[in-house]
Amino acid sequence: MRDSDALENNPHVSRSALEAIHGQVYGWALSRCDFDHATAEDLMQQAYVELLSGSARFDNKSTLKTFVFSVVQNLARSRFRRLSSRLRIVKQYRQETVNDAAQLTEPVDNGVWRAVRALPARQRDIIELVFCRELTIEQAAAVMGVSTGTGRVHYDRAKKALRSRLRDWSEEDS
Amino acid sequence: MMESDDKLREQLKRAWRRGAGDRRPTFESSWQLAQGRYAAARRRYRRFASVAAITAAIVVGLNALTSKDEPTYIEVADLLESTYWSAPSDVLLPHREFDIYQDMPVLFESTKPAGGALL
Repeated sequence: MRDSDALENNPHVSRSALEAIHGQVYGWALSRCDFDHATAEDLMQQAYVELLSGSARFDNKSTLKTFVFSVVQNLARSRFRRLSSRLRIVKQYRQETVNDAAQLTEPVDNGVWRAVRALPARQRDIIELVFCRELTIEQAAAVMGVSTGTGRVHYDRAKKALRSRLRDWSEEDS
Repeated sequence: MMESDDKLREQLKRAWRRGAGDRRPTFESSWQLAQGRYAAARRRYRRFASVAAITAAIVVGLNALTSKDEPTYIEVADLLESTYWSAPSDVLLPHREFDIYQDMPVLFESTKPAGGALL
């Protein structure tokens, strides 16, 4: 089956389907790059380029949303791997550069979100994917590249940690 | 448990919306820019491919011009004028080889002395 607006190099992906999940993809890209809007936009465009060129080929083995989220995740990983190696080199000569970079990428900061950010990376990712991006645990685990069982464990631990943190903070406030 | 999950979900969504703001680019603009980047990448690739093809053609052409596999013959005059001689290439070797069983050389014996030595 080929939609009328299907991509030339990716026949199972249509422009309208991408448009429908655009907001969710952007949200995911944003959290992949410490809420830096410019980087998120760049990341998302790169994901679209991968789909247009057929480098990332969708074969209907999962939902399109899961697939595009995985593409964004992989692109972010490779980009920040490169960036971190560059930062490591710079760090050897200038310690303050790293501190400046950390200040530039100030995350979204409010109570609940701060609690999410305090979680370990995998727990944070699965909570965001399930609660904010409306994916199932299976789909979220696929995006993260872990098994469903591992995904469930991260999900349960994340919820428990989040609840206890929020409870602690509310007690402190009161 | 489910109820508290839903509450947590709502809290997170609200926090996300508040924190992320509304700077989300439209799909149209992102798509246009992505298409532009894809077209630029294709142009770069085509340019690189054509340069590589031209370079390969030049290398093959030059190779064809410089290599000479034709047999060279020994000029008798050169051979006589010089004490230096190098072996000719294999292409000059005779195709017919000496077969010891077929081409038995004619041996001759003589008992006649010639100047104190046997012939």
